[in-house]
Amino acid sequence: MAHDPASLDELFASLQAFDWGGDATALREIDAAVIAAHGDAAVRADLEKRLSALLGGSCPRAAKDYACRKLAVIGTAASVPALAAFLPDREHSHMARFALQQISATEAAAALRKALGDLQGDLKIGMISSLAGRGDAASVPLLAALVRGEPRIAVAAAEALGRIRTDEALQALAAAADVADPAVAAAVADARLAGAEAQLRHGRRPEALATYRALAEATAGGTTPSAKAVRLAATRGILACLDTMAAS
Amino acid sequence: MVRTSQGAGGRSATRTVADAGTAVPEPARRSSRRGFLAAAGAAAVAPYAITSTALGNASTPPASDRIVMGGIGIGNMGSGDQAAFLNRPDVQYVAVCDVRQKWREDAKGRVDGKYGNADCAAYVDFRDLLGRTDIDAVHVATPDHWHAIMTIAACRAGKDVYLQKPETLTLREGPLMVDAARRYGRVVSGGSQRVLDDYREIVHPCWAGEIGAIRSVDISVGGPSMPCSLPALPTPPDIDWELWLGPAPWAPYNPGRCDGNYGTGGNSWRSYLDYSGGSLTDWGAHHFGGAIFATDLRELQPAKVTYHAASADGKQAAYVTVTYPNGVDIHHNRPQQLRPATPSLTHGGAIQIVGDGQPRGPKPVPAYRGQGGIYGDFLECVKTRERPFRDIELAVNTMTAPHMIGIAYRLERSLAWDAAAQRFTDDEEANRLLDRGRREPWML
Repeated sequence: MAHDPASLDELFASLQAFDWGGDATALREIDAAVIAAHGDAAVRADLEKRLSALLGGSCPRAAKDYACRKLAVIGTAASVPALAAFLPDREHSHMARFALQQISATEAAAALRKALGDLQGDLKIGMISSLAGRGDAASVPLLAALVRGEPRIAVAAAEALGRIRTDEALQALAAAADVADPAVAAAVADARLAGAEAQLRHGRRPEALATYRALAEATAGGTTPSAKAVRLAATRGILACLDTMAAS
Repeated sequence: MVRTSQGAGGRSATRTVADAGTAVPEPARRSSRRGFLAAAGAAAVAPYAITSTALGNASTPPASDRIVMGGIGIGNMGSGDQAAFLNRPDVQYVAVCDVRQKWREDAKGRVDGKYGNADCAAYVDFRDLLGRTDIDAVHVATPDHWHAIMTIAACRAGKDVYLQKPETLTLREGPLMVDAARRYGRVVSGGSQRVLDDYREIVHPCWAGEIGAIRSVDISVGGPSMPCSLPALPTPPDIDWELWLGPAPWAPYNPGRCDGNYGTGGNSWRSYLDYSGGSLTDWGAHHFGGAIFATDLRELQPAKVTYHAASADGKQAAYVTVTYPNGVDIHHNRPQQLRPATPSLTHGGAIQIVGDGQPRGPKPVPAYRGQGGIYGDFLECVKTRERPFRDIELAVNTMTAPHMIGIAYRLERSLAWDAAAQRFTDDEEANRLLDRGRREPWML
């Protein structure tokens, strides 16, 4: 389908008025325009600009939801300001965040990191989730600082560090090994186990073995289901490391 | 339930006799119930009523040897899974969880009716069910967008999992689920009860080597899911809508959005992108499962996805082919005129397989363990700690094909897959579709 600005004007006018239950024909045609524009940077840029502009206007939630979904596919640094503006908004935050999570530009990660510092509660957990989804190494110091804080946030931060699993992230998790809250401790242990598995997969057996041994020792004598599960997982890990030694 | 050193979970014996009339005090955990009673002396327990079901009989294991189970998501398919487990003599079913009040109450009623008491716990939030230390295993039959989060949470909580197909909603979820299962030594079985049972006429000849080396497979099944734009309606009081949506994007309530009917043409969650991969992954889990099992591809993932555009005159619809590292092609909805006129094997109109016609030596067909189909296989593996027939890793590999096909349809182009990196090669846009964000506070 050839790029036709006049047709797109009509389609986006329809999109601006779209609400759940309405005629979605315009949305499907915009979908087709996005697909057809693959490889054409200029056309993609035009579509992105239109979608971003819609976010700044007053239109139904469903229309903004759709714009965010499309920007998750074709968004670039150009859309970051419009998306970042929605991060504090309870209704729109997650859809904007989903787009920023997928945009590879460093500006997207920076926006999520800034919002991580600004926001509280569930919205803060949302930022943690998206930074983890990006594997954002630059957020490790921010996440490490959260692991000893409010438990719900700390659990999310520990999980994120386990997903990111750079050396710095794993060091931050090791430093949090003595955290008191049981849910946070379980999250830290799980993240450390994930990190050790990654190390073993990449041939870093001594580091993996050290982590597994530390976890096994820390849970020795523990009677809670969580302690037993971690001890068993750590024991499996030790055996896997020893198997690797024997094989080599 | 006699447990391994995993230690997670116990048995219904943790409840007092005063509560249930069937239990035995906690010290019985490490010895057989009968042995404990003999050692303690009958007089010590004389005031209490120990029913025959607790001690077991010729057809029913003692309570200490039963697997304590709960169910999460007890709708259409979930109630079928519940019935299968509830009717097992080696299961003690103790809890149900559903965000819909009616399903939750009905599910509890079925359990209470089976045991003749009112003991079955009923939860709205799956985390409360997973927090019980007496539960050994759970079956999960929620919409697909919950599968990964619940399975991983269950593994961390020390539970084995029987998970309905399709086991994943995105390509990124599968490896995380496998990692969790392996990390905690859990038995996680996918739930396609059809793979071994429904496709025998293609499975056995393939494994017997009768048609030689497999060349290609044609699968006919519906396509991917679609966006949902159903109108907003008032949320009824008997559904926890926030929890039904969970990690999915917020959307207003509409019964068609969340209906659990098996249709994929609209007005069912199976139709919609935020909750399902559509017929491609729903019925596709069975057909791809059967075909991939028959052709012994379960341990592989496709290397290449080829999008064949529709013909300009509209007479030939688009279709997609995945190619495995061993050269086998699996075609999704290839037009009939392009298919071999005489396939080597067929499963009705759904699957056609072509071999090279050079008979090969037979291989033993993997089978269920234990008795009672895929349910019995899961329970046997819970006892023996073996990997089940549809182990999560095999399920994830199987589902990789329909997920990739869905992405190819969305982008209308061909793709290359790097199985080691679990990413598409040189296609950032396709890699944006490997996963999706999750609504706070849920994360993966």
